[in-house]
Amino acid sequence: MKTFWSRFLGNPRVYLGLLWLGLLLVVAIAANVLAPTDPFAIVGKPMAAPGGEFWLGTDSLGRNVLAGLIHGSRATILIAVLATLFAVAFGTFMGAVAGYYGGLIDDVLMRFTEFFQTIPSFLFAIVLIAILSPSALNLVVAIATVSWPPIARVVRGEVLTVKSREFVQAAVVAGQGDAAILLKQVLPNTLSPLIVTGSLLIATAILAESALSFLGLGAPNVMSWGFMIGAGRSFMREAWWLVTVPGIAILLTVLAINLVGEGLNDALNPRLADL
Amino acid sequence: MNIRIVLALALATTALLSLPAMAQKSGGTLVQITQPEPPNLAPYISTSAPIGQVTAKVFDGLLEYGFDLKPKPSLAESFEVSPDGKSITFKLRKDVKFHDGKPFTSEDVQFTIMEVLKKNHPRGIATFRDVTAVDTPDAHTAIFRLATPAPVILKALSSYESPIVPKHIYGQGDIKTHANANTPIGSGPFKFGEWRRGEFVRLDKNPNYWRAGLPYLDRLVVRFIADASTRTAALEKGEAHVAGLGAVPYNDAKKLAARPNIEVSTKGTEMISPMVELLFNTKQAPFDNPKVRQAISYAADRNFTIENVWFGFGKPAMGIISSNFQPSGLFAPGIDFTVADRIERANKLLDEAGFPRKADGTRFEFTHDITPYGEEWQRFGETIQQNLAQIGVKATLRYEDLPKWLKRTYTDYDFAVTSNFLFNLADPVLGVHRAVHSDRIRPGTVFVNGSRWSSPETDALMDKAAVEPNEAARGKLYAEFVQKVSEASPIAYILEVTYPTVINKQFKNVIDTPLGIYGNFATVHRE
Repeated sequence: MKTFWSRFLGNPRVYLGLLWLGLLLVVAIAANVLAPTDPFAIVGKPMAAPGGEFWLGTDSLGRNVLAGLIHGSRATILIAVLATLFAVAFGTFMGAVAGYYGGLIDDVLMRFTEFFQTIPSFLFAIVLIAILSPSALNLVVAIATVSWPPIARVVRGEVLTVKSREFVQAAVVAGQGDAAILLKQVLPNTLSPLIVTGSLLIATAILAESALSFLGLGAPNVMSWGFMIGAGRSFMREAWWLVTVPGIAILLTVLAINLVGEGLNDALNPRLADL
Repeated sequence: MNIRIVLALALATTALLSLPAMAQKSGGTLVQITQPEPPNLAPYISTSAPIGQVTAKVFDGLLEYGFDLKPKPSLAESFEVSPDGKSITFKLRKDVKFHDGKPFTSEDVQFTIMEVLKKNHPRGIATFRDVTAVDTPDAHTAIFRLATPAPVILKALSSYESPIVPKHIYGQGDIKTHANANTPIGSGPFKFGEWRRGEFVRLDKNPNYWRAGLPYLDRLVVRFIADASTRTAALEKGEAHVAGLGAVPYNDAKKLAARPNIEVSTKGTEMISPMVELLFNTKQAPFDNPKVRQAISYAADRNFTIENVWFGFGKPAMGIISSNFQPSGLFAPGIDFTVADRIERANKLLDEAGFPRKADGTRFEFTHDITPYGEEWQRFGETIQQNLAQIGVKATLRYEDLPKWLKRTYTDYDFAVTSNFLFNLADPVLGVHRAVHSDRIRPGTVFVNGSRWSSPETDALMDKAAVEPNEAARGKLYAEFVQKVSEASPIAYILEVTYPTVINKQFKNVIDTPLGIYGNFATVHRE
């Protein structure tokens, strides 16, 4: 039987994804070195085409698009990863408690989850931002708030199957407390679907952040790819690069995350992959 | 001094108008785009911007205005101001009928001014404040009796600002919830036809209009299209013919101007005079210091903003009073904040004010609120942010929705600096006094004195100018006033927006009043 790593790394699509994500990570970390000026600074003639003094041109106020792309990677990734972490943490907590205790607690928590699930998530995020006012922190809060329910459902399902297994019963007989059983016995065995769902959630969060920024609900003082598309959308006909450049960046990143996520799925669910 | 303005030209004008009437081609449908859809069609109780674009065609005013803001006859053939300025006598036309066939009389004028506008119109309350009575000695004479002279009234009688409504209709029932609020009946060149919500309002030619031979158009359709690029495309393809007042994004207007079938006019804002400004909270440090406020005003790059944010549709503002008042002699410039060494001056002022640059190059930070009126305001905020970075001032931008922003600015005063959009309107008394007069510091009332700055001297100058019947003397008072306001700079005046009106070239004479798209379109015709 092949190991996880050999399955994961034996998949060429995973390399493509990891390559792009690795590059992105380097760019995000080294943003201040690669583009030392403030990405909001007006540095040249507005709407200069790519290929001149500025490789990717300037936007409608004369801001360097390349600098925006570099700094934007930072905000985009940070907001998406943080939102995902919050969503996973909260979703796991809700799902684990509901699945483990069952009964009334399960009913209450799942109805609560369904309440969130029944609201169209993007509209809900828009409403949250409108109430909280746009800022980086509120974007994280809004995206996390609409993203956790699927995690809760996945974790609850896994916990339900795992908790009836013999080793869990053995732990109960051995006198371990609920918290210890949940943390040490049950949750570690629900990790694989959680990792897959969570990694794909980052891609969804990037898209949500971009869509919110596109609608003008993004963080006003933070350069992100969605902000760039939102600011450039009115000029699509005269300056194609304003939306195309960050659009391609979002496309590649979401694609890369999906490739890696699917690779993880194949590697963590070998029975599925071997079929 | 005896001012006697009798519009003897009235008859001649009518004769002149009816002559070309023969030569113009009648007929055709003009499609106007108005954005957003108006909440109702009751211009006598609301000044919401889209309403007037529809209803100015349905109602008439006592007067109309030329581009020099001088009055022209309309429902009133002539008027005369008494020597003491305390009464204005209007001679009314005898041949005017409302759309339901009933004749127009001085009763309608009395009812409109005293019962409707003076009590309910957001600006009429102030405009007609000093009108104590409207006498009607006969059916075609209306005499305004005033407590003090109020020259502003003669600027505020257009069909847009003060529509004359028929008493026999609007006198029935509560004016605020009137049955005809969405189906207006007036005496104007177009009759209300149909309002299909979310789509259009149709206005039909009034065949019994009192200006013989007018209007030329058979029909006027006002369409509502929510998406900006769809609006531009409709104009480009000729599906719609006229759009103004921000209905077309400024960069699209610039692009449309290059097309052979389209003309873009910047006339027709002379009586609106929109101003883009930065409003300071003068009760809060550091903006309680006039030197800091002046420094910010110097730092704002007006020419860059005009070229790249408003795409050329504007000119640098010279002070609290718009240069559109130049022909009427009420304009005077304040301090010139566009001088070549403005950045050095700004730096010097901030040093003097006690805000030296710290080790990291910055002096102080503040939050800059953005007027939630759309994309150009966001871009304006980003531009100012960069301008201020040059003088070591760090601005953080904040966007909120309209109700929150209004509450923050005009009720809670919980802001440091906010961008703002205020109209000078037809007269400084209407549009300018409200921004800096001490009696307009009213928490909860929007678009008044939000900076909470005032001074006894400027209050006195405004009070004098409001009752001064002589234009030249008013001009002198305002010149002193503008200078004092610009020294204190409670508001940094950035630019005067010259709204582009996009017009399909097959239609002529669309913008023939200083109210632009708020005109009545009676003389609009197809080529």
